[in-house]
Amino acid sequence: MNHKLELRNVTKTFNTEEGEMEALEGISLVVKPNEFLCIIGPSGCGKTTLLRLVAGLDQPSSGEIILDGKEVIGPSPDRGMVFQEFSLFPWRTVLKNVEFGLEIKGMKDKARRELAEKYIELVGLKGFENCYPYELSGGMKQRVAIARALATEPAILLMDEPFGSVDAQTRNILQEELLEIWKRTKKTVLFVTHSVDEAVYLADRVAVMSARPGCLIKCLDIDIPRPRKRTSVEVNEFREQLLMLLSLERSKACISV
Amino acid sequence: MKEKKGLHFLKRRGIIETIGISTVVIIWQLVASFIVKKTYLLPSPYEVFFAFYTVREVILVDIYISLLHFGIGLGVGTAVGITLGALMGGFKLVDRAMDPIMEILRAIPPIAWIPFAIIWLKLTHYSAGFVVFVGAIFPILINTYTGFKSVDKIYIDAAKVLGCKKGMSLIKSVVLPYSLPYIAAGTRIGMGIGWMCVVAAEMFGASGRVGLGWRLWNRFYALHMMDKLVAYMIIIGLIALLLDRIFRYLVEERTLKWRKGMVAV
Repeated sequence: MNHKLELRNVTKTFNTEEGEMEALEGISLVVKPNEFLCIIGPSGCGKTTLLRLVAGLDQPSSGEIILDGKEVIGPSPDRGMVFQEFSLFPWRTVLKNVEFGLEIKGMKDKARRELAEKYIELVGLKGFENCYPYELSGGMKQRVAIARALATEPAILLMDEPFGSVDAQTRNILQEELLEIWKRTKKTVLFVTHSVDEAVYLADRVAVMSARPGCLIKCLDIDIPRPRKRTSVEVNEFREQLLMLLSLERSKACISV
Repeated sequence: MKEKKGLHFLKRRGIIETIGISTVVIIWQLVASFIVKKTYLLPSPYEVFFAFYTVREVILVDIYISLLHFGIGLGVGTAVGITLGALMGGFKLVDRAMDPIMEILRAIPPIAWIPFAIIWLKLTHYSAGFVVFVGAIFPILINTYTGFKSVDKIYIDAAKVLGCKKGMSLIKSVVLPYSLPYIAAGTRIGMGIGWMCVVAAEMFGASGRVGLGWRLWNRFYALHMMDKLVAYMIIIGLIALLLDRIFRYLVEERTLKWRKGMVAV
């Protein structure tokens, strides 16, 4: 099977006070198993909306989303999500946060703990199990969020600008770590970002979205072997292509506003 | 430098506080002994101290009875307050239906319920308990409601993605733990109001001839035994303080550790 996730002509319209607002228009996309796909687009183009639809947190107005041959109808732990905002439960320790999804599943204490500890170790936070989120830095919080999303062993990992609110150096480290985790867990990753650098460094393929109403205008295969060098010539060529596509979209957005 | 060193012992915990209390007691004693000179206008600390001794037997019974009234009212008030607050916070329909009536009921001072407390529940412990209930329920209800309403959407989304289906499991795993600090704060306020209500209800004899409030008004005030009356006032205050401290110790310091980083509790 070569389709992990398939979006068929997905649209999303929101009802606002000024009338209907079309957020997404006819999105069709296929994500392959074990692929790292980045979605990039000008701000307000509906990247986050798209990810929320795949997560099942919102319903598409039309079209269908199919994961492993089954239509997505609501949220489920087979799609792990890491949010842009800090989403750890502040009343739970790191361990308890990672255990959350397993608790809901009804897993036994001991098995739950072992699995949670495995993922905490995977994100490099061994020794912080009993810390509360307020004791952690922004980067550490997002690592816990990744561990929490992975703990339920989802079929796909959805990431909504997860490193948007950490500083640039930490972001570079987190990106490297994410690639390592991806390599080890062989997950399919759908990663939304507004950063061209991030997309080119991480992705197998980058899908570029247009300004609102968002639709896919181009998919680029980033066929640079890993580990990639952030400043290499090939990386820069891709960056230039993407930047050009995006600036074109931004100028369109300005005209339509 | 040397002088500072000499005063250094003052920094030890409790020293300054003891000096503060002692000063007030001494001034009180001097004013009572040399200026007022009438026990029924201002009993001196010395007289109050001996009053404690003479009331030592009844006071224990009265404390027990008043705490019983308080416990009945607070227990029922907490259970009903949290339940109603949760329902109003969780369901828009319930919120809209109940909000106006709650606002009206809340505006009525609990003491105004004493006549009905007596008529409905007769001169039993439940009667004073009912007045405590009316006093305690609203802060608990409103805080629970606020807690339920202010849950960040991101936590709900995160829980849903991790497998929480709508309804009970979301409330149990996310909404309730999130609201706990609100509920605790409401309960603390409710306890303070409830304790005032105990004394007031007992003064009116809502539960018959028992309790700290009843004796304070119907015995000590009626017979102008002001030294004993002051002793009771002090006990009433100390119990309120103690209840608050115990609650803070049990609830805030133990179960709400995680909140330290967010606000100063």
